[in-house]
Amino acid sequence: MSDSVHSNSLDLIPLSVSRVVEDANTDTRILVLTRTDDQDTFMIWVGAPEGDSIRRALDSATPPRPMSHDLVKSFGEHFGITTKRVVLTDVKSSTYYATVFLENKGVERSIDARPSDAIALALRTHAPIYTTQDVWKRRSGQHLDAWLAKLDTKDIDTQEV
Amino acid sequence: MITQMQVKGLMFDPYNNAYIVVLRDEDEAEMLPIWVGKSEASAISLALEHMAPPRPMTHDFMKSFLDAYNAKVISVVITDLNEHTYFAKIHLMYEDSEYAVDSRPSDAIALAIRSEAPIFANESVIRKQNSEELEQWLENLKPEDFGKLDS
Repeated sequence: MSDSVHSNSLDLIPLSVSRVVEDANTDTRILVLTRTDDQDTFMIWVGAPEGDSIRRALDSATPPRPMSHDLVKSFGEHFGITTKRVVLTDVKSSTYYATVFLENKGVERSIDARPSDAIALALRTHAPIYTTQDVWKRRSGQHLDAWLAKLDTKDIDTQEV
Repeated sequence: MITQMQVKGLMFDPYNNAYIVVLRDEDEAEMLPIWVGKSEASAISLALEHMAPPRPMTHDFMKSFLDAYNAKVISVVITDLNEHTYFAKIHLMYEDSEYAVDSRPSDAIALAIRSEAPIFANESVIRKQNSEELEQWLENLKPEDFGKLDS
């Protein structure tokens, strides 16, 4: 997987995190990601603690005690491991997949991650965030479907209670 | 002096709407309750039950990060307790050097279980916990609890 990402690296789409929105209907957060080349956006759903962690990074907020992603950053600083970049590599049934590319003394390693953990680390280490042309093509329309699906589920739950 | 502790379990504390990680020493003579949030409790509970979620959760990701460069968690120590906040250190071995990294106990414990690393507590923490517990108990006493002595 990492090889194909390397060979297509020219085609990677740079993203920035615009904001983190609370989904009032579910205990989740919506990440609004913006293409830095043409300002087009898309959304991905993440868990509440991960979303809050990303928001703290956007606000450059320093909590009194290191939170989970601050700890990962701290490991990197202690060992000299640099986060080179984060790539959203795939999407399957509305679940996004990410790869974190690390480097230490010229040795590159890549690790599988959820986009939320990958982005929470990227923002803390000032690493660039990308997605592939393929994921970008397949994202369209899906955010709306997922949004409606979540709303429907919530409505049904409420009626049952 | 440090004492090795085992994670005995997780309890829900409805009064504080939080979870308590219960640590006990091997003789079960000392107990150390540590209050953690919901997501931290779930990270510890998944590891205790050896559950492999479909996607790596935050502490699985943390472990992948360390595994990628062969950094090993040697142990975790609950080092201090100050105003109801616990402090911990994660001891790691990386390229023949030892490192101690500051952490919240919840992250340290979630990572220790996944790395099969032992968990220790400073004896001063266990002593302080006992006295803080007494303080909390005294604070919770209402005036009427004292009144009983008069009547």
